[in-house]
Amino acid sequence: MENIISNLKTFWMFTGFANVQWGHLVMIVIGCIFIYLAVKKEWEPMLLVPIGFGILIGNIPLFAGMEVGIYEEGSVLNILYQGVRLGFYPPLIFLGIGAITDFSALISNPKLILVGAAAQFGIFGAYAIALAVGFDPLQAGSIGIIGGADGPTAIFLTSRLAPDLLGAIAVSAYSYMALVPVIQPPIMRLLTTKKERLIRMKPPRPVAQTEKILFPIIGFLIMAFIVPSGLPLLGMLFLGNLLKESGVTKRLATTAGGPLIDVVTILVGLTVGASTQADHFLRLDSIKIFAIGALSFMIATFGGVFFVKIFNLFLKEGNKINPLIGNAGISAVPASARVSQMVGRQYDRTNHLLMHAMGPNVAGVIGSAVAAGIVLGFLG
Amino acid sequence: MKRIFKIFLVVVGLSVALYANGQNQSSMRINEYLVFNTDDYQDDFGQQSSWIELFNSSYGTVDLGGCYLTDDPNYLKKYPIPGGDVVTAIKPRQHVIFWADNQPYRGTFHISFDLENAKEIILVKSDGETIIDRIPVHKDLGENVSFGRLNDGVGSTNGDGEGWGIMERTTPSTNNVTIDKTIKSTRMQEMDPYGWMMAVLAMTIIFLALIILYIIFKYIGKYNIKQGKKRVAAKAGKDISEVQYDELPGETYAAIAMALYLYKGDVESHDEESYVMTLQHTDRSYSPWSSKIYGLRRIPQLRKK
Repeated sequence: MENIISNLKTFWMFTGFANVQWGHLVMIVIGCIFIYLAVKKEWEPMLLVPIGFGILIGNIPLFAGMEVGIYEEGSVLNILYQGVRLGFYPPLIFLGIGAITDFSALISNPKLILVGAAAQFGIFGAYAIALAVGFDPLQAGSIGIIGGADGPTAIFLTSRLAPDLLGAIAVSAYSYMALVPVIQPPIMRLLTTKKERLIRMKPPRPVAQTEKILFPIIGFLIMAFIVPSGLPLLGMLFLGNLLKESGVTKRLATTAGGPLIDVVTILVGLTVGASTQADHFLRLDSIKIFAIGALSFMIATFGGVFFVKIFNLFLKEGNKINPLIGNAGISAVPASARVSQMVGRQYDRTNHLLMHAMGPNVAGVIGSAVAAGIVLGFLG
Repeated sequence: MKRIFKIFLVVVGLSVALYANGQNQSSMRINEYLVFNTDDYQDDFGQQSSWIELFNSSYGTVDLGGCYLTDDPNYLKKYPIPGGDVVTAIKPRQHVIFWADNQPYRGTFHISFDLENAKEIILVKSDGETIIDRIPVHKDLGENVSFGRLNDGVGSTNGDGEGWGIMERTTPSTNNVTIDKTIKSTRMQEMDPYGWMMAVLAMTIIFLALIILYIIFKYIGKYNIKQGKKRVAAKAGKDISEVQYDELPGETYAAIAMALYLYKGDVESHDEESYVMTLQHTDRSYSPWSSKIYGLRRIPQLRKK
């Protein structure tokens, strides 16, 4: 009998109930909120469901030494986490992004590329703010990249510069990407006049197959020569796009843009979520990161919209750009382009901005990868 | 004719290879040296002697075999580095140490002069004539104090000492400046405490990169439109100035997109309710993995001879 009681006591010690702390419960609630937002509100469900469930997995109270936790070497979760820690999941996601991205809108109106550049102000604005609130340059660089609105890029850069902040930065980046429809419209309205919101842009011209094939090749060569440190992201992005546009590697493009990106997205979501263990995540720094992350999205939106307004001063009548597509310079594809369409149609139901907004939107993907390369070059 | 062409190709190929080899050796640099070694790095024999560090500044492997090290500008072939030895193949951005102990019989990396009596160190190409790099030997350095390039492989090669300086500590077989993340970020914090410099520089680079892309694709687009118009004009027998692209209104694109979405998507072609059987016909394309289904249902037929 004594033996049974002793064994039961030992078993109890290994259960989550015996090891639970308030931090675990808070994180479990946060995980459930993520899942709720994904299922009920459909906010980026592809990301928030795996991240939310990952948070639940990562915050089950464990008896140390069982070799099941994500930070315990040799555990299955730890092995899966290596893709995040060593940064090889993000380039694979970029391969998939390249394979599903259509750069036609950008090629047909190349000046929209510059809007994608302007929105990167968010990254460097957030970098300056992060320095001002006491983060060191490596941490500030990682936090700043949230403003690029690109989850894989944020993971890639943070894994190299400030791995301790990976959970907070990744969750922040993905959460704000889900909140793009909430954050951006007020800033867009604030910065534009009614007349500007009604600007009609020329429909995009048809783009030849040759141009579509040349774009990933020339784009890669230029970007990689200027910012070689962005090679893993840029290389994979443009390779994915070439697979799509070449027309002779349909199977590879389908795999990269379908099953591969899905598998990696699940693994990234799960492991990033699981890496937010209460003792690593519930810190004052995380709250600061979330606050700066929100600001970075606002600065990026401001940068994009304001740049278009300035740019319009130099463009002829008929060639002007609707500033409502300036917000799409961040690389939340296609969420921010949808926001442009949504806000545009509120003022003119027949003005469809979606295709125009896709130009800066995909330019934002390139811009954020280049920005990550630059930050890595300066600090890494 | 074909034969001559082949011989020409071989000659060109060999020339290029020889040129590339010569060019590789040119990438070697004298990177650091220590004259008075009393308490520093030891050789395989447990001896402390003067040493010279060479650095492969290129991104390809360089074979040093056949090159020369000397301290006498009038006798460039003083110490021939043995060829055909795998250890003289220096990997990209890697270092190698030569012991200046005047005891060459001790191995490839022990040379036939010492630095205490040398005025200059000269590295010579395998042709025995071309000087790759040279640097005067400073005798005023204290014991265990080395002289080296402030950044590996960077600086002059004509002996004027530009880019050279006294090292804070000796760094044999490793980088003269250990650039780790912390040092880089600390420097950045000192140089740019508020992040404005980083913001300006980075945004300039991003704009520059994307402006180049914009210019290239602007002209590729123009060229493409011109070619398209030419083709249309030739087909219709018109002048190129008469050909215009039809610009469809946005609504038309939206209507086409919606039609495609409805046609391809799950909007109207499937039942949405649970537990309701779909009676729509499904066309299965042939797959070797499911071929039995078709093979077994088919009535056997005799093959025609």
